[in-house]
Parts: sequence; structure tokens; C-alpha cells
Amino acid sequence: MRQILTILGVSFLLVGCVQVPMPKPQSQAPLGTEIGIASGHGEVSEYGNPPRNYVTAIKSYFSTKLKRGEEAQYKYSSPKRAFKRKGLAYGGDLSWKGWLVETSVAVPTRTGRYLTPRPYMVLFSGEQIVEDILGNSHKLLTKVDK
Amino acid sequence: MANFNTHFTVAAGASAVVSATLLSMEVLSPEQAVIAFGLGTLGGLLPDVDSSHSTSIKVGFNVLSLLITIMLIFVKSSTYSLIEMFITSVIVFVGIRYAFLEFFRKISKHRGMFHTIPVALIWGIVIAILCQWFFDLNSLVSWVYGVMITWGYLVHLTLDEIYSVDLGNRRMKRSSGTALKFGMFKNRQQQIHTAVIYLAIPILFALAPNIDLLQTALFSQDAWLTFTDILIPYDGRWFFH
Repeated sequence: MRQILTILGVSFLLVGCVQVPMPKPQSQAPLGTEIGIASGHGEVSEYGNPPRNYVTAIKSYFSTKLKRGEEAQYKYSSPKRAFKRKGLAYGGDLSWKGWLVETSVAVPTRTGRYLTPRPYMVLFSGEQIVEDILGNSHKLLTKVDK
Repeated sequence: MANFNTHFTVAAGASAVVSATLLSMEVLSPEQAVIAFGLGTLGGLLPDVDSSHSTSIKVGFNVLSLLITIMLIFVKSSTYSLIEMFITSVIVFVGIRYAFLEFFRKISKHRGMFHTIPVALIWGIVIAILCQWFFDLNSLVSWVYGVMITWGYLVHLTLDEIYSVDLGNRRMKRSSGTALKFGMFKNRQQQIHTAVIYLAIPILFALAPNIDLLQTALFSQDAWLTFTDILIPYDGRWFFH
């Protein structure tokens, strides 16, 4: 029994009982933003403005990143607000807050056959792509808009 | 029972085959394939960590203590001074490598629950959870790393079971059936152990990354077609592409 409890204890200790830091509300307006924005716009300013040219940005990003990316086929959602924490090995603090575009990308194989489209979450800060995450979900990422 | 070298060689060979296949299928990048190979090999040594005097327990605890010490350095490097980091690292390393190892040796029994299929699954799920929650890896890579640990683990159990057949005398050794098993059911206590292990699987699954990508990448019609595409030269020209 002690053996079992040790296995489970170590497992749960490592994965279960971790404090999950939530993003702290910004107490100060970030540098470079306008002063005196009406309160109704507070949420938008916290995440910045949604990217406008995300289609072009994503196509150009994946065309060099993926094998045969220049022949890829894309589908996009509209930008959604989201935030992400660092991995717990790196402290677990808030690492990004901005707009996320869910994208599905189908690339051809070396034989020219198109694979089932893979879902990606593309993270933007302003018009800039900061990261892409393969998949529809990630334990460290929270989508604010569903 | 196979010895450490046999387990190491067979697990490395089996992991090389799988990681090279995943690399060719473009499921993993070259760097990820190297890590997957390492994890599969490590998985092949894990079942013997319950043997008090095996080489596996020393290797396993060396890797574990080093990993946790490195993680500590990552987390504290921005706040601790060098001296603080050094002192804490030494305490953590020695604590795990020697104190925890001694404790573990006292409580574990060789060929107990560690030599079971559900524990192999639990290791895989735990690695997938750690990869995503701790190291921020995506769901597919996290699961592939978990699967590699389970793969190596199962290769070890299978090898132990094969070694329990005495081919010369054509008889089963006493160790037969103690390596590759679904649980331990001989007495009430063992049955409870087995039940607890099986109960832990769905609980851990709830914490684990989404498994859909792994299913699509490895266990779908698309994955099978990709595998057949890479199995032999698709253009019929052997070695001259």
C-alpha cells in the first residue's frame, strides 16, 4: 500500500497541488496608451486592439515555419481575447495577454496528398505574432471570449 | 530476467524505431525526435527502479535529482543569488539522490506493482501532464513524450516476460507471469493496490492535455496513409531522389 501511495503521492504532488497564478489586474496604464479612455473601453485596452491583418500575417508566418507551408490551405476564426501563463517550471506567471486567432492548416505530404487540417492557436500582440500553439486547447491558456 | 545492458539496448533500439518513424511522418521535429528517443530509452529502465540494488535505480534517481535541481535553477535564477542557488541545489540534489532513494528502497518491492501495465500507463499520463503544465509543450508533443515512456516501459516488461521462458529446457521459470501483468490479485491487499492504480488513471486523465491530436496523428486513417506513404519510396526510385 505504501508503494502505491508513494507513486500516487509523487504524481499528485507534481501535477495536482500547484498554485495556479491568475493574471493580475493592471493598476497602471501601460506606457504609450492614451490617458483618460472611457471605462467601457477598459477591457479592449487591457488586451490591446484586435489584429486587423491577421490573415496575411498568419499565412506569411506558417509559409516559412511549416514544411511545404507555402502550399498550405487555411481557415480562420475571428480574433478572441485570451491570456497565457508560463510553464510552472518557469514560475507560472502571466506570459502573454492579447488576441488569439484559431486557425486550421492543411499541408500536403511529400507525395502531394493533403493531410487532415491541424488546429493552431496563433497568439498576437498587436499586429505581431508572438507564438503559435498546436491544438485547440492548452492547460496554461485561457480563452476569455468563447 | 534480462539484465541492465539488455534492457538498455532493447529499449534504445525500440525507441529509435518509433522516434524515427514519427520523424518521417512529420509528427515530430528532429529535436523532438531526439528527446522522444531519450524518453523511450529511459522508460525502458524505469520498471527496475523498485529493485534496491539495480543499476536502473541509480540511473533513475540520478536523472530525477538532476532534473528537479535544474528546474529549481530555472525557477529561482531571477531571484536567488549564485550562492543561494548553489546551496539550495546541493540540498535538493543530495536530498533526492540519497535520502529519498534510501526511503524508496525501504518501501518498494521488486516486481510488485511497478511491473504492471496500468503503472506503465500512469507513467505516460504523468509525463504528458508534466510536459504541458511544467514545460509549456503543446498537447501533441506532450502526449508523444508520454507515449514514448509507456512504450519503453512496456518493452521492458515484455522482455522480462520473454526471459521467463527457459528455451533450453522448454519450461517456464518461476518468474513467469510476474512482469507483464494487469495487476496483482493474490490477496486482499494486492487487490486494493490494483484498484487504487486503476482509479488513478481517469483522475490523471482529467489533468492531462487534450488527446485528440495524438489520435489524429497516430491512430487515424490519415496517419495510416502517411505511414504507407513513407514506408517505401513513393516515386519508386530507391536511394536516388
